[in-house]
Amino acid sequence: MASGKAETGSLKLVSVLDLNEASVLHGQLSSMRGNDLSIDASGVDRVGVQCVQVLMAAANAWEEDKKQFVFEKVSDAFRKTMQLIGINIDHLLAKEIQQ
Amino acid sequence: MDMNEIKEIFFQECEEQLAELESGLLKLNDGDRDPETVNAVFRAVHSIKGGAGAFGLDDLVSFAHVFETTLDCVRSNKLEPTQDVLKVMLRSADVLADLVSASRDGGSVEESRTRGLLKELEALARGEMPSGGAAVETPKPAPAKAAAPAPAAAAAPAPTDESGFQPIPFTFEGFGADEPAEDLSTFEVTFKPRRELYAKGNEAALLLRDLSRVGEMSINCDMDQLPAFDKMDPEEAYFTWTIQVKTAKAEQDIRTVFEFAEWDCDLDVKLAESSAEELPMVPVPFDLSILDDGASDEDGDDAGAAEAAAQAIAAAETASNVTKMAAAAARVEKKESQAAAAAAAAAANAANAANAANSAGQTIRVDLDRVDRLINLVGELVINQAMLSQSVIENDTTGTSSINMGLEELQQLTREIQDSVMAIRAQPVKPVFQRMSRIVREVADMVGKSIRLVTEGENTEVDKTVIDKLAEPLTHMIRNAVDHGIESPERREAAGKNPEGTVKLTAKHRSGRIVIELSDDGAGINREKVKQKAIDKDLIPADSNLTDEEIDNLIFMPGFSTADKISDISGRGVGMDVVKRSIQALGGRISISSRPGNGSTFTMSLPLTLAVLDGMVVTVAGQTLVVPLTAIVETLQPEASAIHSFGANQRLISIRNSFCPLVDVGRILNFRSSQANPVEGVALLVESEGGGQRALMVDAIQGQRQVVIKSLEANYTHVPGIAAATILGDGRVALILDVDAVVAASRGQSLRQDTGMKSDMSLAATG
Repeated sequence: MASGKAETGSLKLVSVLDLNEASVLHGQLSSMRGNDLSIDASGVDRVGVQCVQVLMAAANAWEEDKKQFVFEKVSDAFRKTMQLIGINIDHLLAKEIQQ
Repeated sequence: MDMNEIKEIFFQECEEQLAELESGLLKLNDGDRDPETVNAVFRAVHSIKGGAGAFGLDDLVSFAHVFETTLDCVRSNKLEPTQDVLKVMLRSADVLADLVSASRDGGSVEESRTRGLLKELEALARGEMPSGGAAVETPKPAPAKAAAPAPAAAAAPAPTDESGFQPIPFTFEGFGADEPAEDLSTFEVTFKPRRELYAKGNEAALLLRDLSRVGEMSINCDMDQLPAFDKMDPEEAYFTWTIQVKTAKAEQDIRTVFEFAEWDCDLDVKLAESSAEELPMVPVPFDLSILDDGASDEDGDDAGAAEAAAQAIAAAETASNVTKMAAAAARVEKKESQAAAAAAAAAANAANAANAANSAGQTIRVDLDRVDRLINLVGELVINQAMLSQSVIENDTTGTSSINMGLEELQQLTREIQDSVMAIRAQPVKPVFQRMSRIVREVADMVGKSIRLVTEGENTEVDKTVIDKLAEPLTHMIRNAVDHGIESPERREAAGKNPEGTVKLTAKHRSGRIVIELSDDGAGINREKVKQKAIDKDLIPADSNLTDEEIDNLIFMPGFSTADKISDISGRGVGMDVVKRSIQALGGRISISSRPGNGSTFTMSLPLTLAVLDGMVVTVAGQTLVVPLTAIVETLQPEASAIHSFGANQRLISIRNSFCPLVDVGRILNFRSSQANPVEGVALLVESEGGGQRALMVDAIQGQRQVVIKSLEANYTHVPGIAAATILGDGRVALILDVDAVVAASRGQSLRQDTGMKSDMSLAATG
């Protein structure tokens, strides 16, 4: 993982993003800092608020870094939970899936 | 489903609610003070009101409303449900029932009755209110609005589903949806979880989901506390939510959602003052509108495929999720709803369909005709199967095992089908019993007596046909009991009895039949008077010498009425003979026992079903007879040493150190004139209705078989000692023995004498 603009990391989220997963996710994201990141949330069945906190903080961080932070795919459960807890992730969705 | 069908379902639901209402009130009347009983009563009226409102049945709504208001006073302990209060309530329940049937079948209810009761109900709601205030929690019942917040208290855990059109808007779940325009208040909830909340395994998202079920919800998530990514503690709680909930429920219901988390979060619930929203609120997805117009905004499903079909599936999935979460009841098979929805391609429709499937619950309503047709067909199937196996046995002596095994399986299957079909028809006698309590009330009011109806064994199940035909004779007998049986309060007091009379109605299963007993604690039968009356009417010769039992049974004779004057209630020329005839038409028997001064008991014994019977096929004097298996306790081969003579021509058989009278079936039915030799035959030990045992003597047992009952009365005429007929596997007709009649005949009097009257009547009945 060298530097360079073209470098794009990708991260596939696990199906259950609960309390235990928050630290793991934080660690994973930390290691990818500095690169464009595309996240695959299509396999998420359940997502807790603490993982959302991590993801949102990461999104802010990536924005500060002027790097791309996109959700390439999202599962229905993921999208619904976001809506339920009042978080708009529209601007983080990949262009193709924004309709 | 068109409007009429929905309305029809509403009325069916009403019937159930009314039954619930009445049984609840009766329980209260008996001193039950369980708050759940009061709630059940309240719910019943409320549901009727809600449904009636949806159909614009104004009379019903206005009456139900006042009724409900008064009930609410009982529920909030402002009104003590005394006997007097309950009397008014029971009458109100009757009027409510009348209003329901008037709405259904047209016609109207006497306005004076309704208005009078309304006044009484209002007076109760007003008059008995404690003056000391305490009306802080619940608003006064007088204003029309009061009814709406009240149900919320009872509605605690039931999820309110306002997400779509409910085909049955009057179920309890529909509470909030009943009065959409009325009393929707908006609460503002501020919810800030603490770290501990998550640490204890609670999940804010789940709490929010539960909250979204309380009402229509908009949410704002405050992320300002969120620190920089590398400084954050992934397990800390940073988010705070401001939520607006528009609901018909009370603040308490919102707090209930957070019940388990309240120590681990900062929670503030208050009524929103104005609609001015300072924060940008996002409506949560549990409101279908977002799916209709906004689904495209955030629709981003699998692979980003943009084809219309994929969209439809995604939308349908969303819809089914919404339904799932909102209804929270039975899980809708995701795949199923997906497939169905893909076809429908309309997300809203799919949600509605899933909704309907959920609320339909565990029962379906089926036209009785269809069940009857099924039963007839199964009856034919049974006969056919018997014929088939018989002919196989006759033609195939080598007994190919595969055919025999197949036949056995067929037999078992037929049996199972039959049992299942019969189970469909079996219904508890409860509805009939409940109807009786109204009759007791009304008749007692009319004749100025105070009478309690006590029912027992309401859940005893019996075939629907039997239930339907039971109502009329029972009504008649109840009227009789109230009018003639129970004395006036003064006379009762003079006799040292409780001025309040008791009529007891019980049902129980006994030896494959249902036994219904109706007893009163009245004066009993005045035998002198009955006998005199019978002599006066030329029913019996003046010099006849009758036993007490025989006198009692005189009241079943046609054209007999003991009431001195013909009243409105009973004695309109149709007497107990009609009752007896209807019971007999059902294949039942009725008997009376009376103790002067202590009351009378009518005992009716009826078959559980009118369609099939397990029988033992026996031979008596060359004739094939079927003995109902339910009556048989055991069969045995008598030994000469066990037979004892008793009196002139009675014989006893000793079985395990007790003596049991031996009944020669062939003699009693006049199949033969000489006595059979018990040692050459088989004895069937039977239990008779009176509870005693008798040994029926038959020549041989052919086997056990399930037989389809064919009425003798309908096809021929009544034959004493024979209950019905059947068709055997070989196509021959066999007679089904009426065990009780035969046993009764063996008790001294001959069958002819005993049933002479009966057969006359049957002849008259069948024309």
